[in-house]
Amino acid sequence: MTDLSWGKSAESAAAQKSRSGERIKFLIGGALLLGAVAFLIVSGTMNGARYFITVNDLLASPEEYIGQSVRISGAVDGTTIVYDSSNLIIDFTIADIPEDTTNLALTLHEAVNDPTAARISVHIENQVMPDLLQHEAQAILTGELRADGTFHATELLLKCPSRYEESIPEQVQETGV
Amino acid sequence: MLAEIGLISTLFAFIAALYAIVASVYGERFAHSRALVTSGRNAVYLNFVLMTVSVISLQIALMTQQYQISYVWSVSSPSMPDFFRFTALWGSQAGSILFWSFLMSAFTAGATFLNWKSQRRLMPYAIAYMMAVVAFFVGVTLFIENPFDRWWILPTGDVVASAFIPVGAVAPSAAQLAETANGLNPLLRHFGMAIHPPMLYLGFVGFVIPFAFAMAALASGDLSTNWIKVSRRWALVAWVFLSLGLILGGRWAYDVLGWGGYWGWDPVENAAFLPWLIGTAYLHSVMIQEKRGMLKTWNMFLVIGTFSAVIFATFATRSGLVDSVHSFARSEIGFPMFAFWFLLTIVSVWLILWRSSRGELKDDHQLKSLFSREALFVLNNFVFIALFVAIFWGSFGAPIISELFMNTNITLGADYFLQVTPPLFILLFILMGVAPVSAWGAASLARMGRAMLIPLALAAASVGLFVVGGVTEIGALFGYGIVLLAGWVAIVETVRGILARQRVHQENLLTSLLALITRNPRRYGGYLIHLGITVIGLGVIGSTLFQQETQQTLAVGETLNIGIYELRYDGFLANQIAEDGRVMDIAELTLFRDGVEVAHLRPRRDFFPEATDMNSMTIAGAHSTVENDFYVILVNWEQISASSATFKVYINPLINLIWWGGLILIVGTMLAGYPRETMPIRVREKLRAVPQGA
Repeated sequence: MTDLSWGKSAESAAAQKSRSGERIKFLIGGALLLGAVAFLIVSGTMNGARYFITVNDLLASPEEYIGQSVRISGAVDGTTIVYDSSNLIIDFTIADIPEDTTNLALTLHEAVNDPTAARISVHIENQVMPDLLQHEAQAILTGELRADGTFHATELLLKCPSRYEESIPEQVQETGV
Repeated sequence: MLAEIGLISTLFAFIAALYAIVASVYGERFAHSRALVTSGRNAVYLNFVLMTVSVISLQIALMTQQYQISYVWSVSSPSMPDFFRFTALWGSQAGSILFWSFLMSAFTAGATFLNWKSQRRLMPYAIAYMMAVVAFFVGVTLFIENPFDRWWILPTGDVVASAFIPVGAVAPSAAQLAETANGLNPLLRHFGMAIHPPMLYLGFVGFVIPFAFAMAALASGDLSTNWIKVSRRWALVAWVFLSLGLILGGRWAYDVLGWGGYWGWDPVENAAFLPWLIGTAYLHSVMIQEKRGMLKTWNMFLVIGTFSAVIFATFATRSGLVDSVHSFARSEIGFPMFAFWFLLTIVSVWLILWRSSRGELKDDHQLKSLFSREALFVLNNFVFIALFVAIFWGSFGAPIISELFMNTNITLGADYFLQVTPPLFILLFILMGVAPVSAWGAASLARMGRAMLIPLALAAASVGLFVVGGVTEIGALFGYGIVLLAGWVAIVETVRGILARQRVHQENLLTSLLALITRNPRRYGGYLIHLGITVIGLGVIGSTLFQQETQQTLAVGETLNIGIYELRYDGFLANQIAEDGRVMDIAELTLFRDGVEVAHLRPRRDFFPEATDMNSMTIAGAHSTVENDFYVILVNWEQISASSATFKVYINPLINLIWWGGLILIVGTMLAGYPRETMPIRVREKLRAVPQGA
């Protein structure tokens, strides 16, 4: 403790004066840095921002989104998956799912089996068939809607709701316990 | 039986944690009763013992296949090997929260045991904070995600999972339970995934100790550097585990997800990276407080920020807050977790502001020179926080704010992160090169310049090697140069230290190096960590900028060419059955480099007949060298005859440096945290002589 208070009292008035000069330097430097980081984040956001919309939204006003990169989410209909493995092209259809759900597995199941649910064909190139691309998986796609009504995706995220979750006890029942 | 033991011990552990909080705070603050505070400490130990019993019960239940316990039923199956039976403890939500609570309880008991005598003022509050966190997680285990629930058949015929026997219910038959058991998700049956979660948890949990001691300092009014001294080593341990957790997660993604990469800027990956960023800033800035008595308030914010980010990451992973491949489906623990995170952050920030407004967190010095070491450290903190803000904004800020206030949903993809983060990482590497040669207080630019000459020359020479190796892109060479400079500074500074010793002492180089490290393990451990980060940086640049890929369908005997490599399809092994029941389809390939055979690769597709959802998994074949990874994925094959098959090939330059850098980090951290008596014996004895309660 003693050495610290000694250090303080030893500072002269001249040092105090030069410190206020330093302070301005720090303030200017800090402001410049803050500005640079803010610019970086804002410009990155402008370039990288994509609307994350439902299939319904997309199909309700396609003209608004054609040619623009957006993200959509939907339930994969497994019966529609066509995989051209020598050219690495995948085509399939997704059905609309609402934004908020409490039971994702059930929502996906209902969406795929609901004939009235909005659907959109998805086309992906240069993509190895992912292990998770299967019936009633949730697909989150980044890409754009083309004029012919298909969605050309450049990025594909897949989620199987029960992947990390405990399965439902019905499975015990089904086997006739 | 195991379920009952586990449930009861968890319940008592919960009660012990609550008791520890009340006894410590009430005993210290209001009753001034040493006996009460001591009983609070004993409750900490009891909590640890009980949590150990709980975890062991669940572990035994897993190993002995007690499928009536729904957790065991959902994460294991009769055909699984014992190793994965063991790791299934953290294979799903309920078990991993129990395991997490246990780790936190263990850390709390350890920190209490080590500091009980030396930190009388801090301990009661530190215990209260640590136990509050433990109590929350144990509470979640007990009341929301109970891993000891069992299956019961109700008289109505319905099957339910419940901790207690419902009226009139009977247990399902063991044979049927075993037959229907789920088995661990195939994607998680990987060595990296087996140890990635515990590493990450140790990293997360470890930060509770610095946090609790910082809070104890604020609550008790002992605002000296005591809390820092106590928690520094814990922070280091937590930091290295968190680093390893992140690296192993990357390794798992690289091996298992089959897209040739290791980091996808997925929100949940980012969530785990956020505490690392603030934690690293804290480990640096805390040195300024120790050496110069500066940034006291700031350090408090950092340590709280780190732990707050830890809880946030846990919450984000488990609540389905944002869409991500990792998100556990929306679960019931979302709201309690959020409320806990919010409360913890608010209380902590309020405590800081309260002490700060009383003038108790005033700094002893002010920044004087723009190039003093403290100024550079402040800059380092600034960049870490900028990275934190940028990544938080991209992963959570933009999506959440757009949803709440703009009635739309905006997400930022990988291109956002690839645009925003590289300049900041470059700045960090520059600082990593410059800061070690700067001086505390004030620094002369001329002296710094002289100290940089040799490292600059070495960095330029090594960049020359890259040019000779065929790298011509200016941007890439610049990146390599910056990263290498940081590494060379670490090496040159160490060599300088050795030479300085050699001038004074008659000893060989190794003795000098060891003496240097023992005299100042923090500095030289830190340099080694910098070197590890340099090695990782080289790997990231190489694998990101120079990845090559191609795909082709080959008939047996045909080859494909990529760069100087040639890959030949030799044949196919279909339906190979492995020990754990998986069915493997394996392609056999031979790899040539410049016409010389270098490796046999066996990319394969595994099929898991018993798994209910995700039942197949692609396993890449790779040939790893210092130079690169030759990474092949079996995409598809002609069914039955397998006369032709399609392969996707990636060449990932320098990628192995990322994993090796991780090993250097471990060694460096072990050095930096190596216990050393800092006080002279005379002072220690004097302290011991002070009567108790003084």
